[in-house]
Amino acid sequence: MPWKQAGRDCLVEERKKKLGKWYRETVLAANRTLLVACHDLQSLRRSRHSGVFSGKMSSSTMKSSTMKTRCMDKRGSFFKLIDTIASEIGELKQEMVQTDLTVEDESADWRSLIKDMDNVPPEKNDVKGCPRDSGYDSLSNKLSILDKLLHTHPVWLQLGLNDAEAMEILKTQPPGIFLVRKSGRLQKKVISLRLSSDCGSCLKEFAIKESTYTFSLEGSGISFADLFRLIAFYCISRDVLPFTLKLPHAIAAAKTEAELEGIAHLGLNFWSSLANSKLPDPSPPCRPVPLDSACKDSGQLCLINGVHSIRTRTPSELECSQTNGALCFINPLFLKVHSQDVGGSLKRQSLRTPDVNGTMRPRSPPPRPPPPAINSTLTSPQISRTIKQASMPETVNHKKERGLDLLQNKPIPIPPPRLKKQAGCSEADSASRSVAAVGPGSVRMPEAAAVPGDTLPELAPVAPKKTLTAISESHIPWNGGRQRLSDMSISTSSSDSLDFDRSMPLFGYEGDTNSSLEDFEGESDQESMPPPLKPKKKRSSSFVLPKIVKSQLRKVSGVFSSFMTPEKRMIKKIAEMSRDKRTYFGCLVQDYVSFLQENKECHVSSTDMLQTIRQFMTQVKNYLSQSSELDPPIESLIPEDQIDVVLEKAMHKCILKPLKGHIEAMLKEFHTMDGSWKQLKENLQLVRQRNPQELGVFVPTPDFVDVEKIKVKFTTMQKMYSPEKKVMLLLRVCKLIYTVMENNSGRLYGADDFLPVLTYVLAQCDMLELDTEIEYMMELLDPSLLHGEGGYYLTSAYGALSLIKNFQEEQAAQLLSSEARDTLRQWHKRRTTNRTIPSVDDFQNYLRVAFQEVTSGCTGKTLLVRPYITTEDVCQLCAEKFKVANPEEYRLFLFVDDTWQQLTEDTYPQKIKAELHSRPQPQVFHFVYKRINSDPYGAILQNSNDSAT
Amino acid sequence: MMAIRELKVCLLGDTGVGKSSIVCRFVQDHFDHNISPTIGASFMTKTVPCGNELHKFLIWDTAGQERFHSLAPMYYRGSAAAVIVYDITKQDSFHTLKKWVKELKEHGPENIVMAIAGNKCDLSDIREVPMKDAKEYAESIGAIVVETSAKNAVNIEELFQGISQQIPPLDPHENSNNGAIKLGRQTSQMGRRCC
Repeated sequence: MPWKQAGRDCLVEERKKKLGKWYRETVLAANRTLLVACHDLQSLRRSRHSGVFSGKMSSSTMKSSTMKTRCMDKRGSFFKLIDTIASEIGELKQEMVQTDLTVEDESADWRSLIKDMDNVPPEKNDVKGCPRDSGYDSLSNKLSILDKLLHTHPVWLQLGLNDAEAMEILKTQPPGIFLVRKSGRLQKKVISLRLSSDCGSCLKEFAIKESTYTFSLEGSGISFADLFRLIAFYCISRDVLPFTLKLPHAIAAAKTEAELEGIAHLGLNFWSSLANSKLPDPSPPCRPVPLDSACKDSGQLCLINGVHSIRTRTPSELECSQTNGALCFINPLFLKVHSQDVGGSLKRQSLRTPDVNGTMRPRSPPPRPPPPAINSTLTSPQISRTIKQASMPETVNHKKERGLDLLQNKPIPIPPPRLKKQAGCSEADSASRSVAAVGPGSVRMPEAAAVPGDTLPELAPVAPKKTLTAISESHIPWNGGRQRLSDMSISTSSSDSLDFDRSMPLFGYEGDTNSSLEDFEGESDQESMPPPLKPKKKRSSSFVLPKIVKSQLRKVSGVFSSFMTPEKRMIKKIAEMSRDKRTYFGCLVQDYVSFLQENKECHVSSTDMLQTIRQFMTQVKNYLSQSSELDPPIESLIPEDQIDVVLEKAMHKCILKPLKGHIEAMLKEFHTMDGSWKQLKENLQLVRQRNPQELGVFVPTPDFVDVEKIKVKFTTMQKMYSPEKKVMLLLRVCKLIYTVMENNSGRLYGADDFLPVLTYVLAQCDMLELDTEIEYMMELLDPSLLHGEGGYYLTSAYGALSLIKNFQEEQAAQLLSSEARDTLRQWHKRRTTNRTIPSVDDFQNYLRVAFQEVTSGCTGKTLLVRPYITTEDVCQLCAEKFKVANPEEYRLFLFVDDTWQQLTEDTYPQKIKAELHSRPQPQVFHFVYKRINSDPYGAILQNSNDSAT
Repeated sequence: MMAIRELKVCLLGDTGVGKSSIVCRFVQDHFDHNISPTIGASFMTKTVPCGNELHKFLIWDTAGQERFHSLAPMYYRGSAAAVIVYDITKQDSFHTLKKWVKELKEHGPENIVMAIAGNKCDLSDIREVPMKDAKEYAESIGAIVVETSAKNAVNIEELFQGISQQIPPLDPHENSNNGAIKLGRQTSQMGRRCC
């Protein structure tokens, strides 16, 4: 193969390697997240073709088209898709080649490029010239449709508008203008679209379907993460609409955020205001494009839009899409790229239909897709090179690379590259295959390496973020030049896995374009967990990836810069707002949090405290869902049935997260004060000594290893602030217990078996903190979840813990078998007739103890014995009161039902008394202080210590 | 689209009478899209259509052993219905059933629908509790009563259908709202009713 003979230097290799990585990442991302439907693809090419690119087809197109066709024959349609994306990206990069050929000051370029990530208009424009119109002049307008929609939602997003009001507004507007509102009739959000006057009715409603995760138009198979994306898409592609949506002229023409803000400020008044009054020009004005920035921006934007600014759902979310859900997700790449040429498409429209009134032809057939040919002499080398580069090990070691090179130089039979698989297999595995993938296009490689203008843009897609690492860490003077570039690529490759994340925050994303990674890190304590019941097959089919691939995916997520879902964005936004005291909501939350932290005495009990917090969260949730403080409104980002869920999560983040430490400390304080902590501690030790059968367990129980696993889960639980996530972990524990119980027997166990096992397991875990954990969850969990599975197992855990806590009492109760109880009743009737009036020793804190000596008979005394005084202490007290010389010979006994039972040292006489009193039929009993060894009545002696009482 | 109403149902009765067998039979008998797998058999759900609504039963099993008796209120709190199970071959279990009915009347949620299931009717040759006794008793307390066999799938569907029918339909005024809101209200109503 020609490339084999070509001379290569390290620089080339590094660049190739980089490209390889970049390409792999792109493919991975494409595989995992950009499930672009054919529709998307078609429109992508179509609009590309008919619009900006039509003039660009060169002779090379033909070449590539043949090559491409060949490829397509061999691969499935999916690969076609990948191919196309790759080629399109390649083409975008090609644009950069053109524009950047003359760029000398690379550093400025790169920096401004980096800045562009924030959508900040570049301040510096050092470009000397612009060789030709790239066809992307429309891109010089920095604001995408999505941006415009986001900024101006107070204008078009009018959920409160009724049918008549919508009609009132839209009837004066040109066709294509729309409003989004909530139809009272349909109880759904709808797009109210102005039709052209000759359509009969001038308004048509298109219902928006909301599923748990997505928004889509009814009748369409394309769904979107949020309303803005949906609208943005329909501004470009009509899909099920008669024609595309049109932004009001003032918005479409706005070039700065300030302009948009001004428009947004008008809100509903915009429609009747002067800003909207001028009718759209029949031939929409060509935006004056400053030459210098135009070409520069276009290059950067291609790259940004093509690679970096993608915000989409994570793969895990994609797989959550319901079976009956919409067909596909729209590749945000599409929106980003093509939102830019709405101006262009308008131009096109007006060229084709020179309708002076600005009315569009309804149902104008969509533009034909372009021939699949895409400039290939330039793009395919990139692809093939990158594929080849996929084989490179991820080290900077030049020698190693060279060595591998040699390996690669050996001719290898060439199967078509299997990109999809490559994404999921190990590095080494992909290596052999990708080597083979090097195609004819690679002839050009050496040249490519030699031409700076060529290599630079190729590196560009990967470089910006990573280079920053290089800059920040190695402080390489950033003066541009080829040598620098190579330095950069070296440090880049070396830093790609570890330093990458660190470099992220440097970009300081703002507003909607907020980087997701920062958020990922921020929530690391809340690591997202799949529900414990997620069918295994689902997971394995889609998201069980080798670790290396996962880490690459992560990198990809960085390259694409934000995988942040609307939900996460919303939660983040609310959390930010909660810290901002300029908002009412922020004041509310901050005041409450600091009030709680400063006023420890304001709650009488732990339950009281937790319930107040829960109440506060519910109230704030109600406030948020009704207030207009959230911008954009939550309804536009979150499907309706998910709003409460999202708000609940946000509450956890902004109220429970800062309060977690305080709440825990307070709970501990309360429980130490009321003695329940000590009670649990002591009883826990008792229960731990029991074997499973003694606790009523007759099924397999978790062994030591399983208990350790469970303990780990509980430890993780303690770190979480969200009650829901805690419950999720509890469910995992329960699932584990169930798995052990069932032990592949196929038997299904109900609560009769589960509850004893749970009690046993909780005791084995020996974690006192569980008590407060359970309480935290019980009181703070969203009440609507309490009836579900989480609520059930939470109740069970609570029950199990309270059984443990009261183990001794239960033991005391078990002393008396039902038979004994019957005897007791008779005995009671015989012996006591008038013992209905409670005497002083029946009251709490007093205990009547009889002192029995063989010599002197029986004397009784009423002692002050508090509930948590142990038998040991009572014995001491008795020794004092009865003046016993050798107390070690005496013990406290319970005489009940003609039976003597010695109380062990760690029991609580008051509790036993309370239990006996709480029986439906009052029983007669006596606490007797007497010698251990003398038993005048010949009653049974209980010497064994472990059967308490 | 039909609104889904979540209904908490608790299962009471002596240990060994077949509480969980009844639920397992009910939930797992037919292949049904509406079943989402649960962690274990002590909590199961099943959705059945009822008139204009879908009833999603959230079935809470309780431990029948005496020592767990004190925990029962936590389980039946907020329940829309209770299925109280006895074993027709064990007179004792019928006594326990009466105790549960009494407790529910005193401490249970107001308007709780009670359904009595005399399980193991496939063993009627060693029956200890006559059908007549159960019927009379159920009548006296206004409860649904059926004899069931979880083993042979007798009357299991009927038992839950009976419960569904006894659940009062939602306030017609609320019908214009969507399911989610209804659901929330329903839940909170139940919460308020609890002891």
